[in-house]
Amino acid sequence: MTPPPSVTAGSAFAIPTTGSGKAALYIVGPAQAVRRDVDLGQPASFAAGVLYNAGHYVVLLTGDSVADTAELDVVPAPQPETLGFLAKPSRLPVGTPNGISGAIYIFDAYHNLITKPLPATLELSNASGIVQTRTVTTLNGLAWTEMNSAEKEGTVKFVARVGNISSTRIIDQVPGDPCAITISAAPANGKLLVQTAPVHDCSGNAIPDGTIVTFTETYNNMQTTVDVPLKQGVARVTMPAYKGSKISAASGVVAGNEILWGGGQ
Amino acid sequence: MGWRSVIKRFFVLACSLTLPLASAAAQQATVHLEPQQLHGSRPIEKQTEAAVIRDYLAAWESMQSALNLNQPTLLDTNFVGPALDKLTGTIGDQASLGIHVRYQERSHDLQFVFYSPEGSSIQLIDTVEYDEQVLDHDKVLATKPLRQRYLVVLTPSEVRWRVRLFQADTQ
Amino acid sequence: MNKGRLLAAGIAVATLLLLVIGTMWPVTSAVAYAGGGQGDLLVAPSTPEAAANDLGTQIRLHAWDKAYSSLANKAEFTQDQFIHDLTGYALSLRTYATLDGFEVQPLHQTANDADMIMKLRWSTVVGTFEDKRNVHATRSGDHWAVNWPIVPEQHVPPQVIPVNYLRWDVITSGSGDDWGAQDVEAPHVRIVDMHPVNRADGVVVMGELLNEDVIPAYVSVRSTLLAKNGSVLDSEGSFDMISHTLLPKQVTPFVIRFPGVDLSDVASIRMQPLSVLVSASADPVIEVLNQQYNAPPGASLTGQLSNQSGQTVNVAHVISSFYDKNGQLIWVAGQYIDRALQPQTPVDFHISVPEDIARNVNTERTVVSTYVLGGSL
Repeated sequence: MTPPPSVTAGSAFAIPTTGSGKAALYIVGPAQAVRRDVDLGQPASFAAGVLYNAGHYVVLLTGDSVADTAELDVVPAPQPETLGFLAKPSRLPVGTPNGISGAIYIFDAYHNLITKPLPATLELSNASGIVQTRTVTTLNGLAWTEMNSAEKEGTVKFVARVGNISSTRIIDQVPGDPCAITISAAPANGKLLVQTAPVHDCSGNAIPDGTIVTFTETYNNMQTTVDVPLKQGVARVTMPAYKGSKISAASGVVAGNEILWGGGQ
Repeated sequence: MGWRSVIKRFFVLACSLTLPLASAAAQQATVHLEPQQLHGSRPIEKQTEAAVIRDYLAAWESMQSALNLNQPTLLDTNFVGPALDKLTGTIGDQASLGIHVRYQERSHDLQFVFYSPEGSSIQLIDTVEYDEQVLDHDKVLATKPLRQRYLVVLTPSEVRWRVRLFQADTQ
Repeated sequence: MNKGRLLAAGIAVATLLLLVIGTMWPVTSAVAYAGGGQGDLLVAPSTPEAAANDLGTQIRLHAWDKAYSSLANKAEFTQDQFIHDLTGYALSLRTYATLDGFEVQPLHQTANDADMIMKLRWSTVVGTFEDKRNVHATRSGDHWAVNWPIVPEQHVPPQVIPVNYLRWDVITSGSGDDWGAQDVEAPHVRIVDMHPVNRADGVVVMGELLNEDVIPAYVSVRSTLLAKNGSVLDSEGSFDMISHTLLPKQVTPFVIRFPGVDLSDVASIRMQPLSVLVSASADPVIEVLNQQYNAPPGASLTGQLSNQSGQTVNVAHVISSFYDKNGQLIWVAGQYIDRALQPQTPVDFHISVPEDIARNVNTERTVVSTYVLGGSL
C-alpha cells in the first residue's frame, strides 16, 4: 500500500495496493474515519467529497493475508470559501485609539482552516467612503488588526476581504460622555421649569436621546431629585419653586453647573 | 464454585481493571510550554494561560474517551462549534464502521500565538506526540506512534475555555 | 349493648353542647387562630376596641359584607370603595396582599366616642408594609361601631399628557452558536462605588452601578466573599435591592446581604456586575419631591413620588443611598410603595435609617424603579 503523502480536502484520490485477495482499508484520524473493501492488487478509490476534513490520518490495510499501515495528510483546499470574521466591539465611543479589532479565520469549502499564508484586507468605511484600510498576511490561518474609531458618531462598515470573499460587520460609533452640562431655570405656573442646553460630548456629537440627566434641587433640608431622559437633545423638568433653592444637574459621572434660584430675579 | 474460586476471579477482574488504569496514569503526558509568540496581540495573563492549558488538556482527555467509547456526548463540555461538529462526525463514522480509536498522548509542546484584543479567542499550537490505536471491537487493527502539530483555537464560555477549532497543521 | 348506646348518645350530646358553647363564647386564642380578632364574632361589640378588633378580623378573612355592614359611616361610601381602599383602586402590591395581623391602640374615649389607631400589617411578595389608620368609633345603644377613614380614589383631571416615548427595541442574532457573527454586545456597566459593612446579622455589601453606555441595560450585581485562604465564604446577588433597568448614564444603588458572615473573616470581595441588553422605555419619569432627611432619633428619609407620565404605575420601588460628609456611601435602603402611582398625584414614602448610621448621614440620593402592567421593571 502506497498512499500519496497528502491529498487536498474533498478531492478524489486512490491508494494503490499489492497482493491478492480481499482486505479492508481504513483511513482514520480525529477529523474523520472512512473504510473501503478492496481487492488487493487494485487501487482503493475515493471519490471527490469522501475525505474532506483536513488532518493527519492513519491508513491501515487489514485482511487475512495483509496488515499494513501508513500515514496520510489531508490539506485544506487552497480556495477560500468562508471567513470567520470577529469584529469587536459592535459599539464603542468615538475617538477611541485601536478601539476596533478585527480577526479573520479563513476556511475552505469544508470549513477547514487554510493555514497557507494569504493576503487579507480589512477596511472601515462610512457613507462618504473608505476611511481606514489595512492589508495583513495570514499566519496560522489568522489575520488580525486594530483600528481607531472616528471622531464623528455614526455607523461604519467593517469589511474583511480575502480574494473575492468578503464579510461585513456594522460598528456603531457612539458619542462619549457629556463634555459639559449647562442648565437654566425659568418660572412656570408657580413652579420652576429647569432644562439643560443641548448636551454634547467633547467632540461635538449630540448625546443620544434617552440619556439620563439627574436634576437635584436643595432647599433648606429638603431635596427634590428626578432622573430625566434627554429628549430632542435636552432634558426638561418642572420642579418646586423655592426662593433660595440650589439646583444642579449631572449625567453619569459628569456634573453640570449649579443655579441659585432667587425667585426669578 | 467455592468461595476461594470467587475471590480468585474477583482478584483477576480487579487486576485486569486496575492495571490498565495504573498504566495510563504512569503514561501521563508531559506538557512543555514554549515562550508566547503573540505577534503584537494582547498579552496573556498568567491566570488565563493556566486556565487555557488546564481546559485544553481536559479537552484532550474528553476527546480520548469520546473516540474510544464512541460517545459524542463526552465532548460537549470541552468542545464547541466546528471542532465539536467534526469530532462528533468522526465518532459517527467510527460507530458505523464498527471501530473505535485509542489516542494516548505522550507529550504536548504548547505555544500561544494569538489572544484577541477583546479576549474572545486564543490560538495556540500544540506539537503532540501520541499513539493512535485502531480497534475493531476488541481486536487491535493497528497502533501507530505519531508526532503532529495541531492548530487550536479556544473561546471562553461561562466557566471554561472550550476548543472551537482543532486541526492538524498539514500545510 | 345498652351501655354502648348510652355512651354514644352521651358523646353526641356533649359534642353538640361544646360546639354551642365554643360558638357563643369563643376562647380568645381560638378566635385569634381562626382569624385574629380578640372579640366575640357573634355578639355585638360592647367596647370600641372590640369593634375595631372585629373589623380587623373581618378584613383579614375578606368578609367584606360583614366588615362593611359593621361600619358606622358606611353611608359615606360604597362597599366597593371600602374594598378598593384596602386592596387598591388600581393593580398594586395591595391587590394581592394578605393581612398578616393588626393592632389596635386606644387614644381617647368618652361615653359615646373613642379614637384609636389601627395598625394593619399586610404581607406581599416583596415583604410586609404597615397601613396605619386613625379610626373613630361611636356608641349606638349597647354596641360600638367604627367610622372607617376612607382614603378616596385620587381622580386625575381629564387632560392630555403629551409623552414623546423614547423606546429601545433589540433584535438579537438568535440562540445558536453565533461566534464570529454580527451581534449587538451587552451594555457597558461599571461599579462606581462599593462599601462593605459589618452588621449584627452579617455582612452587607453596598454600592452603586453606572450604565456608561448609550443603550438601556438590565442589570444585577453578584458579590463573592473570599476567606484569607482564598476559599469562597458566600456568594449572593442583589436580588431586588437594585433598580434593574438602567437607562444610559443612570446610576442605581445596590445592596447584597450575607447573613451570618463576619467581615473580619473576609479577606477580599469579588464583585461581578451583569448587564443584558433589553428593550426599554424612557417613560414613566418619576419625580422625587420634597425629599427630607429626618435626623435621629427615629431617623428616616421622607418625601413624595410624583408620576409625571400619563399612565398608572402599578408598583414603585424607592431605593435611597446615604452618604457621609466625605461623600462616602454608608447605607442603602428601600421601600416598596403599596399603592399604584396615579399620574401627577404625589404619594408619600418613608425609609428608616438605622440609628448608628443615621448620625453620619450628610446627603442622600434616591432612585425609583417602576413596574407598569404590560410593561417591564
